[in-house]
Amino acid sequence: MESLLEFARGPLFRLTFAIMLLGLARVFILDIWGLVEAYNRAGDKSIPWRLTLTRTLEWIFPVKRMLNHRPFYSLSAFLFHVGLILVPVFLFAHIQLWQAALGVGWSALPRNWADLLTLSTIIFGLAIWAGRIGSRRARAISRKQDYLWPLMLIVPFVSGYLCVNTSLSPAVYQTLMLTHILSAEIIFVLLPFTKIAHCVLMPLSQLIMTIAWKFPARVDEDVATTLGKKGAPV
Amino acid sequence: MNRVHVTKTILWMLVGLSTAVALTRYMFGLGATTNLTDATPWGLWIGFDVMAGVALASGGFVITAIVYIMRQERFRPIVRPAVLTAFLGYVAVILSLLVDLGLPWNIWHMMIYWNPHSPLFEIGWCVMLYTSVLLLEFSPVPLESTSRWARVRSVLMKLRFPLVLLGIMLSTLHQSSLGSLVLIMPFKLHPLWYSALLPILFFISAVALGLVMVSFEGLATSWLYRRKPETDLVARLCKAAAWVLGLYLVVRLGTISAAGQWALILDGSWESFLFVFELLVMAVIPMILFAIGRVRRAVSGQWIGCSLVVLGMVLNRINTGGLTMIGATGDFYFPSWMEFAVTAGILSFMALVFLSAVEHFHIWSEQPHEREADPHASPEFSRSGEVWLGSPPVAARTRYSFAFVMALAVGVALMPGERIRSSGVSQVSAQAARGGDTLFIDGNRDGFGVAFDHPRHVSANGDKASCVLCHHMNAPLDKQSGCTTCHRRMYQMADAFQHDWHASPKGASIACVICHEEGVYRTAGSALPCDACHRDLVPPGVTIEVKSYRAPSYVDAMHDLCVSCHRRKTLELTDRPDHAQCRTCHETPLPDYLQPDMADLLRRPGYNHVVLPAVVKGSN
Repeated sequence: MESLLEFARGPLFRLTFAIMLLGLARVFILDIWGLVEAYNRAGDKSIPWRLTLTRTLEWIFPVKRMLNHRPFYSLSAFLFHVGLILVPVFLFAHIQLWQAALGVGWSALPRNWADLLTLSTIIFGLAIWAGRIGSRRARAISRKQDYLWPLMLIVPFVSGYLCVNTSLSPAVYQTLMLTHILSAEIIFVLLPFTKIAHCVLMPLSQLIMTIAWKFPARVDEDVATTLGKKGAPV
Repeated sequence: MNRVHVTKTILWMLVGLSTAVALTRYMFGLGATTNLTDATPWGLWIGFDVMAGVALASGGFVITAIVYIMRQERFRPIVRPAVLTAFLGYVAVILSLLVDLGLPWNIWHMMIYWNPHSPLFEIGWCVMLYTSVLLLEFSPVPLESTSRWARVRSVLMKLRFPLVLLGIMLSTLHQSSLGSLVLIMPFKLHPLWYSALLPILFFISAVALGLVMVSFEGLATSWLYRRKPETDLVARLCKAAAWVLGLYLVVRLGTISAAGQWALILDGSWESFLFVFELLVMAVIPMILFAIGRVRRAVSGQWIGCSLVVLGMVLNRINTGGLTMIGATGDFYFPSWMEFAVTAGILSFMALVFLSAVEHFHIWSEQPHEREADPHASPEFSRSGEVWLGSPPVAARTRYSFAFVMALAVGVALMPGERIRSSGVSQVSAQAARGGDTLFIDGNRDGFGVAFDHPRHVSANGDKASCVLCHHMNAPLDKQSGCTTCHRRMYQMADAFQHDWHASPKGASIACVICHEEGVYRTAGSALPCDACHRDLVPPGVTIEVKSYRAPSYVDAMHDLCVSCHRRKTLELTDRPDHAQCRTCHETPLPDYLQPDMADLLRRPGYNHVVLPAVVKGSN
């Protein structure tokens, strides 16, 4: 068990964390690359920068949109993200590990805040999962990964919370710790290749939408040629 | 299966892996990545990447000489690939050098601080100039595709002949100087490889290798892109190579005759076998193969002959560049996987640049049609046909970036944590001192140690009261534990506490809350101190304060303890002015009762002198 834990904390963590960081950097760069190419091809090069920026910010901080439609689900989803992002990055124990490994640290969440946010992430994670299976319209647009992700994301939160807040025998503690680490590592690996990549791609989405409507120059002639109707009236 | 796609994917993976290793090398140094030592400072990166790399890139000057100086117009179709390969080869050499140099940011020093006595100075300048010349020689090719640079291109075309001449001159200079480089080591290099004619041998072999390398490259790329191999041209090159290899054999064996060293070839040492193997592979067998017309005109014959020469020449450069010095230095060296990874990565990167250049520019008489390089090709779909992968260039960058990123992540995972933390010093566990009253302190058991008169130190410092002057910590249930109980490592800090052992079911099996209070963050600071459980951990009256659970290395602990006390005593004992010098302890004679057992040690050169870790083992 110890050697397994050691392996999960050492090489396996480095592998999965590197896959996550590099994989996210890769999809981000590929997206920008595609954007630049699409822009260079576009016939109309005007981009409403201010509007795109406002819309992007509106979607990242969806205060306005929260209560429009399915308010309970929207609110749960928002609060789920708060704990999901803050706790792993600003948990004291995690920062200690970074400090020990790389010598860099940053300020941590207070202990009771961390506990509270962990619990809220677990509860709101279950809530958005229920919201998805409970609504017929949501089910109609859901893929397998949409059902799986909320559950998968709360596994490290549950196991981590139990590790910190209960007095357990070393054997149980180590099992829970291993669950915590391995579940997080599975998430790291899948993250850049599934819909969770929106954690870095989200700021680009509105820009992509805008440029997607810019057709290549003289595309109409190409279409007409392809359809064999060159010169025909539209 | 698309050969080009598979090859490029593998090459990108190798580049990814080597990127991780290069990061490790630049962050943590050569000690963390290579198996190099002070006795073997030149390893794979010099022997293969630099020495063999320069030789492998010799096709550039050989083919330009054939076409532009000897006016053999039929070889013109292979000038462009030969010059491109040479240029990429030299860039690879420079990149490898930047990885291998201890202080790579000082590489510009040779331009300002001249040392005209050094062959390396000449090689450095030649490589720098020749790389620039090759760039100028090649740049008309990519400039062809755009009219914007037409004037620059026409100037370069006018300069081509002087550039070719300059290139040949520079190559002649440094191909041979790589041989001169080892002339300074007649006692280090094995006599079968050492010769006063090494510069000439290096030059002749570079010419042969240049002819063969261009052929080899033509064969490999025609396999890759399924194009018709230039069998006729390659056969002519192989014929020329046979003559040059013959000349090489005559000169090489001639130098051995002149030095009267034929006996060494038959003396049965591993070097003698290596010599025979090297000579057979690099010269004798290929020369015979290429001399037979039927063999040299067959593609399979060309493959075998060219591969043998390339392998043999690489082996020759590695042998001369360090492998055959092992006999003299006694320091065994085998490259670490990270050294291999960097070498493979740099070569792969250059191969990728070559393939890309071939697909985008007019390098061969017939440019291969590769969909990945064609932005107007129809889009690709996944095998199931359901996923749109985009146009071939987009699908290609998606695929190759995935290969690169995954291999880079694997490289990061394989970073050797132990070697990084030890910063290159070998991990040695400290062994307890041996002997009776007089202890022989020799933590790493290398035979260089300190004889420590224990009773004399006890009586001089107040008998019973003196114990706690040195013994400051006890293992549980122990009294006056030995130094190596906590100072377990010879040269590194050791963990005297072992947190995970305390918490593990197989160790002390203590639940977290026994030491860590509930409701607060679990840190070393908030945990119970050790002596809350281990009551007799610190002997009463101890003056040495232990502040951390990290025990200093055995060497540091011993020096700290002995030297600090001896310094104090020097002030008291006015008749002993040398009381705190290195030799006070390190040049003490071995205790009498140990002498019969350790008589061999006493005869060792420099016995009883201070020895630093990782020095030359044995003597020349």
